[in-house]
Amino acid sequence: MNGMQGATLLKYRGHRYLKVTSALVLLAVAAYLLPGRTGDEAYGGTVSGYLLGIAATLIVLILMLYGVARRRIGGTPVAQADTENKVGRGKRPFRMGRLEGATLQGWLSAHIYLGILLLVLATLHTGFHFGWNVHTLSYVLMLLVMVSGVYGLNAYLSYPTLITLNMGDDTLDDLFLKIAELDELAMACALELPDEVHALVQQACRETRVGGNLWQQLSGEQRDCPTRYAVQQLPALSATYGRNDQPKMIRELYAMLLRKEKLVQRARADVMLRARMTCWLFLHAPLGIALLAALTAHIVSIFFYW
Amino acid sequence: MISCLLIHVSRTSQGLPVRQAGVIAGETIQIGRGAACPVHLPDHRVALHHASVRRADDGSLHMDAAGEAMLKIDGIIARSVALQPGMRIEIGPYVLGVETAPAGHDIALSMEKVHAPDGHETAVGLKQPVTLEALGFSKRTLGAVLAVCILLVFLLLPMLPGASQALDKWQADLPVTLNGSWSPGSLTGGHALFEAKCSTCHKRPFQAVADEVCTGCHTQAGKHLSNETLHKRAFGSMRCTDCHADHKSRAKLRHDAEKCVACHGDIKRINPDSKLADVHDFATGHPAFHITLPEGVDADGVERVVRFRQQDKPVERSALKYSHKIHLDKAGISSPEGDTVMQCRDCHRLDASGKHFAAMTMEKTCQQSACHALNFTEPVEGIVPHGSERAVMSRLREFYGRWLADVPENRAQCEAAGAPANSVRATLDCVNDLARRNGAATLFRKNAECGECHEITPVASTNVPWKVTPLRTNHDWQPGAVFPHAKHGAMGCTACHDKMNSEKSADIAMPAIDKCRECHIGKDHARGKLISTCESCHRFHRDERK
Repeated sequence: MNGMQGATLLKYRGHRYLKVTSALVLLAVAAYLLPGRTGDEAYGGTVSGYLLGIAATLIVLILMLYGVARRRIGGTPVAQADTENKVGRGKRPFRMGRLEGATLQGWLSAHIYLGILLLVLATLHTGFHFGWNVHTLSYVLMLLVMVSGVYGLNAYLSYPTLITLNMGDDTLDDLFLKIAELDELAMACALELPDEVHALVQQACRETRVGGNLWQQLSGEQRDCPTRYAVQQLPALSATYGRNDQPKMIRELYAMLLRKEKLVQRARADVMLRARMTCWLFLHAPLGIALLAALTAHIVSIFFYW
Repeated sequence: MISCLLIHVSRTSQGLPVRQAGVIAGETIQIGRGAACPVHLPDHRVALHHASVRRADDGSLHMDAAGEAMLKIDGIIARSVALQPGMRIEIGPYVLGVETAPAGHDIALSMEKVHAPDGHETAVGLKQPVTLEALGFSKRTLGAVLAVCILLVFLLLPMLPGASQALDKWQADLPVTLNGSWSPGSLTGGHALFEAKCSTCHKRPFQAVADEVCTGCHTQAGKHLSNETLHKRAFGSMRCTDCHADHKSRAKLRHDAEKCVACHGDIKRINPDSKLADVHDFATGHPAFHITLPEGVDADGVERVVRFRQQDKPVERSALKYSHKIHLDKAGISSPEGDTVMQCRDCHRLDASGKHFAAMTMEKTCQQSACHALNFTEPVEGIVPHGSERAVMSRLREFYGRWLADVPENRAQCEAAGAPANSVRATLDCVNDLARRNGAATLFRKNAECGECHEITPVASTNVPWKVTPLRTNHDWQPGAVFPHAKHGAMGCTACHDKMNSEKSADIAMPAIDKCRECHIGKDHARGKLISTCESCHRFHRDERK
């Protein structure tokens, strides 16, 4: 699945966009070197500088159109992986949608390769002049968008498989139901048990968290997880009790907690993988919009002070 | 033994209490979560064994908290209490009320659950966000905030100084100017003065920097071509900034040699009548040097020059007789100070520009160390100044007039020449005669004194019977180029100018282009050679100060 997904994105229709990109990159490098032949110092204001700049701007606009196309076509290029997870939350119905003959995979393939082309064009457009100004700001924003995009491509190619491997046939809600059930049982069991044990179980039930803030979601951890703590403490604690303290119930309780800990780990892994798969978009898209703003300022400034 | 009436209180849907009584008895009465406690309070907030009721030594009944548990009696936290009717004891969600014991019982306790269940339902995940969207992150909001900030700081603010002069002036003194973020690079040289004030050059928004802005300061920068039609054909609507782009390093501001080649690589395209050869690169595509010689003044009073190809071996017709060979003789040349070995710099001295040589004069150059004094000896010794023929003759007449007046016997010289009686006329004739005779004998000779350096022709005139051909020495052999002699000081003069064996002033000893190419290469780097572009030797703008 993973391999196929990657193959489709990067090798779409016999490397169509790879070929187009390679040709355009060669053209751009030629355009850059042409004035170099006569010793002209390169910068954005030469004829080839303007041409490279216009081309780069058009590519930025096309790249941003992908965001629109994504909404209009529907689904995601990795929606298939989503579907297999049967998660439900935030899932878009997968349609190998077509919008006037365009497929989302085709768009994404073009998006990736055009991004690479943009890197070349914009870098040549700068003529390797950088400074503390709006022009370099645009370039840096573009780089940040690209870095997040490269992360995103890697995430789209690797995380769906990991999510499927982790969750199997379960959804996150399934896991929560199972955990809740175990909690009920453990609490009922703990009612009859010594206070220390009871406190451990109660804490494990009440304070175990899946998800949480940004860091907790991305790390897939809970510091001092009470369930894990209970699992660690229970055997030692039970050893100190006598025959009257219902050792059988403690053993049952221990089994429940172990099962719960596994479920919690899987749930946290699911939240983590999804967070890591989607977090880049929270940078990629806003930075893209910021880039458009900086680009506007860049272009206006050039002609304002011509 | 304690006998306790335990009353379970529950509430109907209308909130009315329903009381169910039961009896429990024991030495002590345990209260807790555990099933073994007679007062069984099944809630997680209650300890397994939370408290117990016991009889004190004085017979009163006390309730003691067990372990680390606490009791809340009438709102006050306590570990132990003597039970009195009317007390309310809170344990977890339950309230135990102490009531007056009916006959046959030691105590009556009502037990009611007044708080909601403790919510031991699973808390896991339910109240936690499990997606990034659930954290309230919004791509659109973040994007919009970033975009608005960028547009504000990098678009709106930099535009403001263009709208108000007062604001423009005020912001120029700020540590960070409003439109500083628009500057693609720092300004070069003297332009750095305007760094904080873009409007110095960028007068109007969306209008290119006008040429007048440049020429407002650079007044001496003239046009490349004096011919208007040709200038228009060559440069069309080109602006100063097409060649001189600031903000792009000093090299970019100053000159761009390639722009020269754009026209001079195919000069006939611009001017089909041009006599100039095409130029591409100093090393490989530069024509042989030309020699420019003065041609004299034309009918309009304009000094004309004529260019010769160097290989045509032009000669200079300066009317000066001069031998470099004699002067630079390694054995020395005789002078009043004895034999002296002369150096080029004894006569040729750089002017303040370091590019050209100061004009040589008789007094400062030839008569230094009393060489070339203009002596006459007959019938007495004297010296005349270096000047026009008329000035020399006047000096001679003045000299002989005084000589006759001072010593009357000298008049014999006149008589000897066959002059008549003692009249003023006769004296003047005598003076003239003496001057002419001695001038001819000692000064205006063909190959000595004046004639040593000048071409002298006798003319039919009584007062000044000689004509010295005026000198027309050249001062600038290649006026289209600039050669900084001062920068080439490490080389000997004769390394380029072969004058050691030159016997005539007609010899032109300007080096050919190959001599320059021994050290200079074109625009492309070569090991051990100096990169030289058009601007190394040529100037684009005519100097309007000339």
